Amino acid sequence: MTLLDFARGPALQAALIIFVLGAVWRIVGALTAPWRLVPANPREGALSPAVAALKGVFVKMWPHKPFQQAGLFTFVNGYVFHFGLAIVVLLFTPHILFIKGLTGLNWPGLPSNLIYMVAVITGASLIAGLVHRLRSPVLQLISRNDDYLSWLLTFLPVVTGLLATSHLGARYETLLALHILSICAFLIWFPFGKLMHAFLFVFSRGMTGVRMGQRGAEL
Amino acid sequence: MQRSQTLGEILDSRGVSRRAFLKYASYVSALMALPAGSAAAMAEGLAAARRQSVIWLSFQECTGCTESLTRSFSPTLESLIFDFISLDYHHTLQAASGEAAEKARETAMAENKGKYIVVVDGAVSTKDGGLYSTIAGVANVDMLRASVKDALAVIAVGTCAAFGGIPKARPNPTGAAPVDEIVTDKPVINIPGCPPIPEAMAGVISYLVSFGKLPELDDLRRPKAFFGETIHDRCYRRPFYERGLFADGFDDAGARQGYCLYKVGCKGPVTYNSCATLKWNGGVSFPIQSGHGCLGCSEPDFWDQGGFYRPLSTSLRDLGPALAGAAVAGAALGAGAAWASRRHQAAYVKEQAASEGGKK
Amino acid sequence: MTLAPASSHPHAPREAPALTGMADAVLAEVAARLEDYAETGRAATIELTAMPLTTEDRAELEAWLGRGEVAVTIESAGHSEIWETRFSGVWFVRHFGEGDRIATESIEIADAPLIVRSHPADMRAAARRLAALCADQSTRTRRDA
Ligand code: SF4
Repeated sequence: MTLLDFARGPALQAALIIFVLGAVWRIVGALTAPWRLVPANPREGALSPAVAALKGVFVKMWPHKPFQQAGLFTFVNGYVFHFGLAIVVLLFTPHILFIKGLTGLNWPGLPSNLIYMVAVITGASLIAGLVHRLRSPVLQLISRNDDYLSWLLTFLPVVTGLLATSHLGARYETLLALHILSICAFLIWFPFGKLMHAFLFVFSRGMTGVRMGQRGAEL
Repeated sequence: MQRSQTLGEILDSRGVSRRAFLKYASYVSALMALPAGSAAAMAEGLAAARRQSVIWLSFQECTGCTESLTRSFSPTLESLIFDFISLDYHHTLQAASGEAAEKARETAMAENKGKYIVVVDGAVSTKDGGLYSTIAGVANVDMLRASVKDALAVIAVGTCAAFGGIPKARPNPTGAAPVDEIVTDKPVINIPGCPPIPEAMAGVISYLVSFGKLPELDDLRRPKAFFGETIHDRCYRRPFYERGLFADGFDDAGARQGYCLYKVGCKGPVTYNSCATLKWNGGVSFPIQSGHGCLGCSEPDFWDQGGFYRPLSTSLRDLGPALAGAAVAGAALGAGAAWASRRHQAAYVKEQAASEGGKK
Repeated sequence: MTLAPASSHPHAPREAPALTGMADAVLAEVAARLEDYAETGRAATIELTAMPLTTEDRAELEAWLGRGEVAVTIESAGHSEIWETRFSGVWFVRHFGEGDRIATESIEIADAPLIVRSHPADMRAAARRLAALCADQSTRTRRDA
């Protein structure tokens, strides 16, 4: 069995099973867990929980005025690599074919050249994010191994993907295998670390909205 | 034909001049992208060489390789290779048969001890002593071992000989093995392909005969001159790949426009061979030019890659049921955890209430 | 082996550039080698067969180099066409293979392409043949006399 066969076969299978199992576990667990709301009546004029939840999800997509100056880089850079990742993952034809193979869903992709450009920007943005984190004493205080591991496992697929498409460093099939293996590592770690925010951010922000709404706080 | 004569002398007696050698050598060195100026050296090498004794063994194969190599050339420049070799044994092609044929093989081996080349097409059955494939009552694996004992080099022609090919495809009932798993103490050159490109074969033999050494090989023992680049590297549909223009089927608008065949399973990006440059049938076309994706036939285990029409970037396994199972298990785990948490919380509340009640 | 470039095929990318600029590069190389040859006498061969030249590139290169005073055809293991270009010392060498396909194509920078010259081994063999013919002839004349 070649490395590529291993990556496309057993490795991908195991990683996807762990990913689905872990992610569903955590989502179902979070949704069916008891809602720890303050056992008090909502303030007068408080938002209904549904509206508060929605506001919580969307209002937080841009920083509050007072934080705009200080948090600008984090926000802009964050958007750059999140959108970059979404474009690369969802609009590169080989990726679409991969998703189609799993789910049967299909949609048109973008030209590969464009995707390479976006991937380069995404990689640069990820590096900028890491540098920012390492240079900020505050971020240093709240960073854990999870943050660095999650960063690394996001960065590796981008780099290996770029290397594979540009045939740099090794033969294409080896690079492709490494790319797929790096995605396997990403998928395996996903449900158990901060990467899970991709699913959970909706719930946590919504819940924050509901709690703050109940207290009549401005969102 | 006297074996002591050089190729130059033999061909001269037939009115073939050194210009033919030079022309052939420039053809081969262009094929193999040898440094400019090697043609002259190769021509001299060829003319000074003796006729190369070749023993051709056919094992678990379909004769497609032999067909590809022998029917491809009409008598012109390219066919000169057949004047440079002496095919002393090939049980499909030779006139002699039975005892006489086997005798010819033994004679050639004895006369050219240490100097003959063994060409193998077909995989070698190894299970149960190799009894699934025998010639004249001798198991292939035994004949191979005996034949290579005094050989100069072994050329495994075709994917079956080079990597096991179709006989070795799952579940490999005959224990088929590639030649280089059995021949470990002689140089082995793999020229895979189903069938292999005839020019690759001619190029390698000419190189061996004129320079007396092996051409540069890759880690799968394939000559780099012919297997140094992927089909995708030299594919004329590559601009469509880069621009994201793909055929979704074999008869849609994209297919008619000649778009890239990646989506319909082309294995060009991971297949090392020269089809895109040398092409087939005297340069007429190659699979992608004829509208079909590359099958990856010159790569190990190409038959077991999950299907010729499965795109390269997809999982090799059918994951639907496994993933559904994982989702159900995950949901159960999550619900169980939540239930345990609720119970724990309820017990805690009760305990608190009880202790507060006690205080009163 | 053929060099039928992709662009000649109906399925080839339509908008593939006909002229890639490769011909300019080859021409520059020819110029450099010719200068070198004129000065030092070092002959050179530029192999065009495997170069990614389009049909248009090849035609352009051929037109630029043009045809000079000498043209040679060789019938040995198939047909070959050789000509000196407008530039003395720059030779175009084209060998045909099966079915009149171009098997190899190169530019040689030399006073004459190697393949045009007579090889010593061929000359030795020819001398033997010619001597035999003379001997034959003289015996025949003597017998007639
Ligand atoms: S048809 Fe195949 S080899 Fe050609 S560009 Fe598309 S994927 Fe690559």
